[in-house]
Amino acid sequence: MTVEEFRYSTKNALHPVAYASIKAMHTRLEMVLVDMAEDAARALCEAVETDTSEMERRFSRHEAAAALTVVNMRGGREAVGVDDELFMALELCEAFRRGTEGYFDITACSDCAGVGVRAGYALDAAAHTVRLYGAGTLLDMGGFAKGYALERLRRRVADSGVTQAVLNFGDSSIAAIGHHPYGEWWPVGVGASVGQPSVAHEFRLRDSALSVSGRGRGGEYHIFDPHSGERVVREETVVVEGRSALVCEVLSTALYAAPDSRRKSIISRYEGYAATVLRCGATGGCKVRRVE
Amino acid sequence: MDRKEFLKDCGRMGLAGWVLSIFPWLESCSDRTRQEVQGEKARIGIIGTGSRGLFHIQHLLQMPQVEVTALCDDYTPHLEDAAQYYPSAKLYSDYRRLLEDRNVDGVIIATPLYLHAPMTLDAMEAGKRVFCEKAMAYSQEDCLRVYNRRKELGAVLFIGQQRLFDPKYIKAMSMIHEGRIGDVVGVRNYWYRNNNWRRDVPSPELERRINWRLYSEYSRGLMTELACHQLQNGSWSIGMLPEQVMGSGHLVHWTKEDKRDVFDTVSAIFTYPNGVNMTFESIISNKHFGMGEQILGSQGTIDLVSGLIYSDEPMPKGSGIHQLVTQIENGIMSNSVFAGTSWAAETSPLAPGLPIMPNVTVNTGESTIGAEADGSKEIIEAFANAVITGRQPEKILEESYYASQFALLADRAMHENRILTLDDRFKVPYEPIRNRA
Repeated sequence: MTVEEFRYSTKNALHPVAYASIKAMHTRLEMVLVDMAEDAARALCEAVETDTSEMERRFSRHEAAAALTVVNMRGGREAVGVDDELFMALELCEAFRRGTEGYFDITACSDCAGVGVRAGYALDAAAHTVRLYGAGTLLDMGGFAKGYALERLRRRVADSGVTQAVLNFGDSSIAAIGHHPYGEWWPVGVGASVGQPSVAHEFRLRDSALSVSGRGRGGEYHIFDPHSGERVVREETVVVEGRSALVCEVLSTALYAAPDSRRKSIISRYEGYAATVLRCGATGGCKVRRVE
Repeated sequence: MDRKEFLKDCGRMGLAGWVLSIFPWLESCSDRTRQEVQGEKARIGIIGTGSRGLFHIQHLLQMPQVEVTALCDDYTPHLEDAAQYYPSAKLYSDYRRLLEDRNVDGVIIATPLYLHAPMTLDAMEAGKRVFCEKAMAYSQEDCLRVYNRRKELGAVLFIGQQRLFDPKYIKAMSMIHEGRIGDVVGVRNYWYRNNNWRRDVPSPELERRINWRLYSEYSRGLMTELACHQLQNGSWSIGMLPEQVMGSGHLVHWTKEDKRDVFDTVSAIFTYPNGVNMTFESIISNKHFGMGEQILGSQGTIDLVSGLIYSDEPMPKGSGIHQLVTQIENGIMSNSVFAGTSWAAETSPLAPGLPIMPNVTVNTGESTIGAEADGSKEIIEAFANAVITGRQPEKILEESYYASQFALLADRAMHENRILTLDDRFKVPYEPIRNRA
């Protein structure tokens, strides 16, 4: 993996800006960094690429050597030892499962309907092992990894001294540092539909994050309801804003999967997070509703 | 674009105008046509009541606008089987007598291949609206004869290429034409089974009548019985016709127990004017890989059989976030639209593909009679509606014609061991199905 594109512009002498893109986690991570020297920006992008690559290896379920792949292969038969970071991530996932009434579940993709209402795996803190419940259980951290990575990368960028930046993971997970150099926030419009420039709703990020869940850009239904084991077929988009990119990612997935009647109860447990539901018609007109 | 329209089967499709503009033949099963035929009856006669004829009957029984008034088969047990479903239908052993029946407006022909052309021609001459199973005819010459005569008579003629009416194929082709997988760079088709392709024969003198598929006197084997369906994927996705075809066919396995003389193993390559190849392979002594139809694009792949899309590229580079950079360069701030749901198709070759629509029904290709939810019901309903309206759907006949022509051309290429092109005399006007400039 390498930095796919790096551009540095000094067209605005007051605010030089760097743009970089990296292919990662089956999508693309884009960064806009303001007021940073070119060499430092380039070095930061390379460090971000290294971090992302390392996290992708850790959380991928497709790479033979990845730790998660080993868990999926052997975890149904025996307890499998994992390193600190994966163990912590699995602890977090289980906490989020309980904190979303089971609508966020990293085992939701496996052949085990109803798994959302009970744990799909057991962690042994003393032995640092994980054991899957049932041979059919698989862990898929796709709904967690982007948010987790974005959270870590946001910290790395902020720690490097950057005070104004946007990190965009596949357009669906965005983290902002500071604000736009010519405004009080970073304006982020969620599109009404694919290929249309019209905005369904504008969100304002300032040292905060945003995550969008719904049908894929091609209309694919790729989110599972952990309770039923079925794909969620719902003609709406859920956007969650808040401090942490990881929590936003988890909540947007859970709230899209959850029925409307459960959403308020779930989001109310997370102080400082807000959810918005967008229902857009074919011609671009959208109804926007806050979950409250 | 309202993709929701694709989520329902044809009978409930409520097709939007843009869909009809791309796939005009679907007008025959649109809500508008359904309303038009409400209260009307399509009086249908079925010629050939063997396994495929009975398969159609199961669908016809579900259609209130259909009245089956006549049945015909020269093999009495088959005729009696069908008569159980329609006790009041008039029974015939000679299809020409059925064609004289004034209570029949349209006929469904489900007979051996060598009878398709003569029966279709006779039925059109008798003023009937016609649905005939694929392939269109036993020979290239007969295909042309049927095509031209239909044009002269202005008759309604459907050929049983049911994928044209299968919602998941319609959705997939629409996505391909939108450029979702980039440029089409290859088309792979295969159909593997492991059975002798035989039907039980009550007495030896009926062998060739019942097992007509196995004898070249009546059938062109795997190319007309199976390939015909899949070859259509090439022209439908690429939007042009093959320039040449080469192939190899042999009788490899099923040689000991019978005297069949059609190939049980075939492989063909069709090359399009832009250099893209479409392959077809069929073996009926190994079923491991089943049936497959894959459109390979420069940015992704669509598996037509499973209704799954796979991506080679993560996502287009975002113009929205580039706007942010431009704004900063120009010292301004305005709204940047770039957030949305994820570009979800994963790029890992090991990743499961994403369904192009919910509730995709996968046809394994194992059945030698027909599969559920593969467009068979929809095409028959569309035909029943056309029997009432008298309207020939656009483009459907040309797609069917060329699927048959190229299946037959490939069969010739195998027998002659040559690379062949379609003779100019067999070319009829062809307008590709495209919605992309």
